[in-house]
Order: sequence, then structure tokens, then C-alpha cells
Amino acid sequence: MSAARGRPSFAHASEAELARILDFYDVRWAYEPDTYPIGWNLEGEVVESFSPDFYLPDLDLYVELTTLRQKLVRKKNRKLRRLRELYPDIRIKLFYARDFRMLMLKFGRMALIDELTGTSGQATPPRPVDPRPQPVAIAEAVAPERPAAGDPPVVPGPMPPRGRRRGRRRHPAPVSAGDGRPTPLEGSGGS
Amino acid sequence: MTQNVDLEADIGDVLLTEEVIAAKVRELGRQISADYAGRSVTLVSVLKGSLPFMADLMREISLPLRIDLMEVSSYGGATTESSGLVRIMKDLSASIAGEDVLLVEDIIDTGLTLNYLLRYLRGKNPASLRICTLLDKPARRLVDIPVDYVGFRIPDQFVVGYGLDFGERYRNLRFVGVLRPEVYGAAD
Repeated sequence: MSAARGRPSFAHASEAELARILDFYDVRWAYEPDTYPIGWNLEGEVVESFSPDFYLPDLDLYVELTTLRQKLVRKKNRKLRRLRELYPDIRIKLFYARDFRMLMLKFGRMALIDELTGTSGQATPPRPVDPRPQPVAIAEAVAPERPAAGDPPVVPGPMPPRGRRRGRRRHPAPVSAGDGRPTPLEGSGGS
Repeated sequence: MTQNVDLEADIGDVLLTEEVIAAKVRELGRQISADYAGRSVTLVSVLKGSLPFMADLMREISLPLRIDLMEVSSYGGATTESSGLVRIMKDLSASIAGEDVLLVEDIIDTGLTLNYLLRYLRGKNPASLRICTLLDKPARRLVDIPVDYVGFRIPDQFVVGYGLDFGERYRNLRFVGVLRPEVYGAAD
């Protein structure tokens, strides 16, 4: 939501900064308005999902920020690739830590880099605890990056999505496996 | 000159030499002259970075033309904390209603400033509105805007010179260069 409607509780200071930049240039945004299922188990339950940080409705563009360590960047890249495979009509731009630093440099805000990036910029103020199970947490338990022997496999698709979905937008059905090609990842590509 | 020698010491690589820039500006001038043949055009320069480019470009356009200047506040500047919104710091000095307008930019990066300017200028009912930029840096583009005239598409590096600045310095360099990271890291 734009500033006029009150600020959401950002998970990271860099997200709050990006929101301020968008507000400054009069670009409407919504914070984590949509959740896209990207992994299902054999029962068709969503076990992994992805919620892009920002949606810019006037530009029909999602923006995802990642300013954290490399391990988490790899995980996010994987999820983003999956998102693009399943929902090729979605436009999404990924800003890595370097992109964010260059934005701060551009706007003369380099002095704030340390407090806005990495672990020091997380959850300020702390987000309220969500008692509902999070899709990512479920995915970690059921289908980690390297599933242990005996764990149920994560089906990459095209199971019908029946997971939790937030926001007002309705999404097209995921593309069946084998249809089309993964869309190349946008963004600077990181350091 | 001593000052320019000091400034040039902060440059890591020269991306575009003075000669390369001049050749491109001539090329753009010819192209614009051909496209607007038989018409007059109003060049609108977005201060401050586009000033050298504007001054050189206008002299390569063999058409009747007007020039005008605009300046908008930038995020992170003095106005950010006070208002939180982009402002027109200097507006056009004359009406552009019914005019063929060419917006002259130094660099298009995120596209946020350009997006705002285009919305603002369209509200003034020009007959046409096109965009000419010396540099296009698409790596962090948020707003996809078709640009009619592009001098150079550059990689994702922080560049200064030929109007482009860091902390209001380096604008007077005759070339476009990549600022050494130690310079902006040291400025924290």
C-alpha cells in the first residue's frame, strides 16, 4: 500500500527504503500483496510459495529485494526461476544487494548502507508473529533443498494450487511442465 | 588544470572519450534534424546533468528550435526529508502546448525521474513528446519507457563526467568515466 494508506510492517529496512523511494517518485506500490504457489506435494497441497516484496500496479511489475547473504540469494534465485516457469506472464525484477547499494549511491544515501542491508537491516520494527503456518516453513520441513530419504517429494507441477493465497489478484493457472521455457531472470545479476 | 587533474585521479576507467561523445552527439543531431524536418522543436533539458549534452546537441540540430530548462528534486536531496515527494524545482519558462517537445536527459537509470517528468509534461498538452538521452543504463530499470534517441547503452557502473556528478563534482569532466569505488566508499 502506498504511504497515504499507512505503512505496512516491512521485514527489512531496505524494503522500507524502497517504499520511500517509490513514494517520492509517486509510484504506487503494494507490499507483499500476492502469494504464488510454486511447489506442491503429491496430495496437491502447497508446500512452497513465493510472495514478491512489492507490486507496482501502474507498471504491472513485482520487485523483490534481497540484501542478505549468498546462501539465501541462491535460494531466492531458485524460487524466482520456479515462479517464472509457472507464471511466465508475471513481470518481476530482482534487486540484489549490489543493486540496492548502487541505488543508495545514486541517491547519495551511502551512509545508510550498513543499517539498510544485510542482517542489521532486518525486521525493524519486529513484525507481529503470524500464528498461521507459513508455506516456506512447511516447505523446509517437508521438502528441504536436499530431501532426506523417505521424505515425500515436492512435485514441481502442474498440480492445481490449493494453498493459501492473499490479496485481491487472481492468478492464471500455472503452466504445465514442458510448456514454454523459463523466462530469463531480470535484474542486474548481482555482484 | 590542477583541479581537473585531481578529479581525473578519481576516475578508474574512461568509458566514453570526449571524441566518442562528440561523434555521437553529431549523429544524434543529424537524426533529430531529419526526424523533425520541416518543424520546429522545443528541447527541454533536465538539469543539471544534461546541461553539457544539451548545449552540444542543440548546436548539431539544424532546425528552428527553442530550449527550456527544468529541474526536479532528487530522492536523497534536501527536499526528501521535508516533503517526501518529488518536486519541480524549476518549471518550464514557456508553454509547450501544441509544441513538439524533445526531453533531453543525461542518463536514464531506474526511469523513476523520467516517468514522473513524462506524466507532468503530458499534462501540458504538447503536440508530441519524445525522449533523447545520452546514456541508457537499464540494469536497474523499474519503469520501462520507450526512449526515442539513445546515445550509448552503458553497463552497470557508476559513471561521472560530461554533466554527470557524484556529490555535485565531476560534471565538468570532458569525458564519461567510471568513478573508482574507493571514492564513493570513502565518502560515507
